Amino acid sequence: MNPSNLAKNSVTLAVQGMTCASCVAHVEGALTDLEGVTAAVVNLGLGTARVTYVAGLVTVSQMKRSVREAGYEAQERSQGLDALDRERQAREEEIRRQGRNLVVAGGVGLLVMIGTFYEMLGPLRSWIPEWLSYKWVIGLLTTPIVLGPGRQFFTNSWRGLKHGVTDMNLLYATGIGAAYGIAVINTLFPQARFGGEGATFFESAALLTAFIVLGRWLEALTRGRTSEAIRKLMKLQPKLARVRRGTAEEEIPADEVQVGDLLLVRPGESVAVDGLVEEGYSAVDESMLTGESLPVEKKAGDQVIGGTLNKTGAFKFRATRVGKETSLAQIIKLVEDAQASKAPIQKLADWVAGHFILGVHILAVVVFVFWFFFGYRLYFDPDSSFIFSPYRLGEIGVFGFSLLLSITVLVISCPCAVGLATPSAMMAGTGKAAEYGVLFKTAQAIENASKLQTLIFDKTGTLTRGEPSVTDVLVYGETVAGGLTAQDILRFAASAEKNSEHPLGEAIVRGAQERGVEVSDPQRFESIPGHGVEATLQGNAVLLGNRRLMSQRAVDIGDLVGQAERLEVEGKTVMFLAVDGRPAGLIAVADTLKEHSQEAIQRLKRLGLEVAMITGDNARTAQAIARQVGIDRVLAEVLPQDKAEEVKKLQALGKRVAMVGDGVNDAPALAQSDVGMAIGSGTDVAKETGDVILIKDDLRDVVVALEAAKATMRKVKQNLFWAFFYNTLGIPIGAGLLYPVLRLVVSPELAGAMMAVSSVSVTLNTLLLRRFKPSFHSGRQQQRQAQGPEQPRWVTEPAAAD
Amino acid sequence: MEGELLDRGIARRAARIYLPLAITAALLFLVAASVTGEYTTVARVGGAVWVGTLSLIVSMPVVTARAKAKARRRE
Repeated sequence: MNPSNLAKNSVTLAVQGMTCASCVAHVEGALTDLEGVTAAVVNLGLGTARVTYVAGLVTVSQMKRSVREAGYEAQERSQGLDALDRERQAREEEIRRQGRNLVVAGGVGLLVMIGTFYEMLGPLRSWIPEWLSYKWVIGLLTTPIVLGPGRQFFTNSWRGLKHGVTDMNLLYATGIGAAYGIAVINTLFPQARFGGEGATFFESAALLTAFIVLGRWLEALTRGRTSEAIRKLMKLQPKLARVRRGTAEEEIPADEVQVGDLLLVRPGESVAVDGLVEEGYSAVDESMLTGESLPVEKKAGDQVIGGTLNKTGAFKFRATRVGKETSLAQIIKLVEDAQASKAPIQKLADWVAGHFILGVHILAVVVFVFWFFFGYRLYFDPDSSFIFSPYRLGEIGVFGFSLLLSITVLVISCPCAVGLATPSAMMAGTGKAAEYGVLFKTAQAIENASKLQTLIFDKTGTLTRGEPSVTDVLVYGETVAGGLTAQDILRFAASAEKNSEHPLGEAIVRGAQERGVEVSDPQRFESIPGHGVEATLQGNAVLLGNRRLMSQRAVDIGDLVGQAERLEVEGKTVMFLAVDGRPAGLIAVADTLKEHSQEAIQRLKRLGLEVAMITGDNARTAQAIARQVGIDRVLAEVLPQDKAEEVKKLQALGKRVAMVGDGVNDAPALAQSDVGMAIGSGTDVAKETGDVILIKDDLRDVVVALEAAKATMRKVKQNLFWAFFYNTLGIPIGAGLLYPVLRLVVSPELAGAMMAVSSVSVTLNTLLLRRFKPSFHSGRQQQRQAQGPEQPRWVTEPAAAD
Repeated sequence: MEGELLDRGIARRAARIYLPLAITAALLFLVAASVTGEYTTVARVGGAVWVGTLSLIVSMPVVTARAKAKARRRE
């Protein structure tokens, strides 16, 4: 039976004991080896494994067993804020544990270092007891470090080895164990010619342990911070809701609210669930979910989102979505999913790191054999020393010297920074983007978005508002129209259309209301299908419609035709108004651009991206909108099913294409594109299909998404560069490549320190992403104030003066 | 319980391969050090132990993982 044909389930396991990219590969391997598991994605940063499987073929218990067999602990991950709190507690416990280890290893390690370099301390020696420099004292001090804080590396690596798994604990264990072992032999049996008392590497074992523990502590300290975005979102979920049931008002837990409940929100309270305002007026702060800095006005009929904060007034709203269906719950799920997914670049890094450790051990054998049989005889100089240390290698023998370099290679090669480089940046990037109302569904979407070359925008509902509105009102002329003004034209037209259900009529009524023009009831109203309407208003016979209607009623609109044609070229629909049989003016209606469409397109073009528009509309209307918004490439009269084909054609030219859309008809193109961006106000189908969801109805967030993706990938590349740069540089030096020329070797403890610095620098570099701010965001408020909302052109001058 | 027994069986089968491999590598080193140079006994034995240990570390996970995969295929 082919599992791909069966219904799939998914489960998220919390996996403990993973420390590096090779652990990721081992856990993924342990899970995908199971029959019935179709995919397993492990996130090192979160310590999770998301498993997709066919129920009936495999159970969660089998998965847990398989992970345990690989040397790790696994349990089903619980959901919600409590689960996060437990994870935080576990992380804090890990920080405390490594902190205690650090105090022991660091404190006692310092004494070991002082004792080892006693002879070089000059006048300071008078403050330090001489017995501290005795080898057996140093040995006694080192032993608790190796057996205490260092024990974790031995137990973890042994557990892995038993199950056929190698991880970086093994590198540490071999390094520390060998350094300690040789030091013990040289102390107890100085005549054994392992280098004698001059080559007791107690300080190497002690300081190496201290530095590795320091790295672990810093990692534990910084690792959780990159996933704070989800915690912040979860904290937004209100705990209580004020519900009216019958005549009584009661406070109940927010998760007990049901669809249809009437909820009350007072100033300063949070909105418990999603709903529709029924009564009241207020301003609601939605910044936590949409990134919108200004409070949004809410009145009857408006939607409110659970988790947002009511500022000024009080209102009542009817719950429409509760529990896991609320926008906030959906956002949290999307961010979690994105953080648990894996970008292609990370898969490569994991593969490299996963195979790295065995390779390093083979290299350690090669290095040992080379220096034992050839290198020592050819190049060894008793006066040579460690880098950054006056400590001479002195009488160290061939075995001790070869072993030293072999251990250094093991320690310096640890790929822990490689394992952290990508997931930590991805987690920080998706979290940061979510703060600005941009939801990436997967890490791959971030990677793809950072490489885009072409963006295709759907027209209706995406670039434009998706509903017609009044754009122009032209008065025919005072002499002819008897002193009518533009307001009069709009009043006549809107009143005549008041009872109309035609979209154009509704647009005129809405346009009049928005401008404060009084709309009265007509005494008589008659719809003339395909032509317009005829009404009687305050004794005046009003005729509103197209050219054909005017022609049929013998209204001479000759002087208005020129103006009408100009507006029609702009893609607008023109309706003529005649009052008492005489031409009075015209009204143009069109689907208008959204407030920030033009600005967003300009910005994208400045970023060097090719921008195109796709629409099913006729070429003239499409060209008109494209001209207004500043798009040069127009794909007009494209049927919904052909939109995906157009995307394919561009991809065939080698371009990476993003589709931005909102409708059901955009879904195939959203799926076909490299990155599908769905507008949050759009249909559910579009949002499910898209790779990125823009929560706000603001196209500038396309730019935000691209900037966030580029910033994240920049960080990933920086991290990978530093992680690999460190290993590329460190391994040859550790192997003694520079020794024949410089007579310097890297001590194991310096290798340990470099390793710690490497992984800490990667996590600190990632934390810089927290400072990310989209270019629009900083100047958004000022721009809004400077530009003001887009207004229709009001032409009060006579259109035809003659 | 059955799983643990199976695991022990796999571990034993794997050990029968990787232990001889590691010992062979150590012996090869010992022979080479004895034949080619004027190394002390400590250096020769110490070197052989180190090479044997690293060979064990390299071969143990590879062989165990393969033995496990083979056992799963048989299941």
